[in-house]
Parts: sequence; C-alpha cells; structure tokens
Amino acid sequence: MDSASPQPEEQAAAAGSPSEFLKNIVGKRVKVRIGSGVDYHGLLTCLDGYMNVALEETEEWSNGRKTAEYGDCFLRGNNVLYISVLEAL
Amino acid sequence: MDDAANSGISEPLDLVKLSLGERVFIKLRGDRTVTGVLHAYDAHMNVVLSQVEETIHIVDVTEDGNPLPPRIEKRNLEMLFVRGDGVILISPTQQ
Repeated sequence: MDSASPQPEEQAAAAGSPSEFLKNIVGKRVKVRIGSGVDYHGLLTCLDGYMNVALEETEEWSNGRKTAEYGDCFLRGNNVLYISVLEAL
Repeated sequence: MDDAANSGISEPLDLVKLSLGERVFIKLRGDRTVTGVLHAYDAHMNVVLSQVEETIHIVDVTEDGNPLPPRIEKRNLEMLFVRGDGVILISPTQQ
C-alpha cells in the first residue's frame, strides 16, 4: 500500500516494480507461456527490455505433453504471454 | 552468478551471437520450423541461414471439419532470409 516507504529485502520481489521482479527471477526455474499456448520450462539465463528470454535446460510443453527439449533456447519477446516462477524466490 | 557454461551470456541476444556459424533450429509462426547454418542476425531477429531445411506441419481438415492426422512437408533451400517477426524460438542444435 505505502509504496513510498522502503521495503524489507524479502518483500522486494513481491512489492517492487515488474522489472524488479524480472531481475529477481534470473537464475530461477520458470515457466514461459507464449501466445500460442505452448509453455517453455527452464532456467532463466537472462532477459532484456523486449522481454526476449534466454533459457537453459528447456522443455517445451504443448497441451499437457512434453514436445521437445532444448539445451539453450532464445525466445523472441513479442511471443511472451507470461513468465511464472516455479520455485521459491 | 552466471553458470560457468554460460559465462558469455549477459543478454538473450548473446545466445544467438554464440550460434553464429553453427547450425540452429528456429521455430516460426505458422507451424514452420527451419534448421540451417546461422550467417547473420539483427535485433529484430531477422536471420540469414544457409543449407536450410524447412519443415511445415500441416493439419488437413475433412469436409465435416474433423482434423486428419498431421502431415509434414519438407524442403531444402540453399540460402534463406527470415523476417524477424515470424521468429518464435532459436536454439543451437546439439550434435
């Protein structure tokens, strides 16, 4: 609520800005859903301002089935619908 | 912070940069994939590839609207320019 007051560190991820959230989840295991409904699970290597995403150990999931695996993969930002964290922050 | 294996990656485009001269797999809009040797790319993900194999996944529909089993069509191209806005995913192919 009181967004002007400084946040304790453990709350920063929950209460900060969206880009702060993205900074905090680098290196975590994430699920990236793209517009077509396909999910990519993997370790978030990095992302940029376009929301281009680089993942490691990526699994591609399409209607409940694993459809592919990629060691590294680059996802073009315009396709990203959401990024969800699969582990504790 | 970075994994030892990924010490050279600080932004997503670095992953593509590291694939220059290597064979990459690219997933495109419209149920198409291409693999080829990456010659050039830019920030739009416009891409130039050589020794390209394009794979098109086609699902035909019967007259009453039921989908038939998916069909795959392939073709080979010497040199290909891909417009960036069609790109969904780029991954170095493991070999």
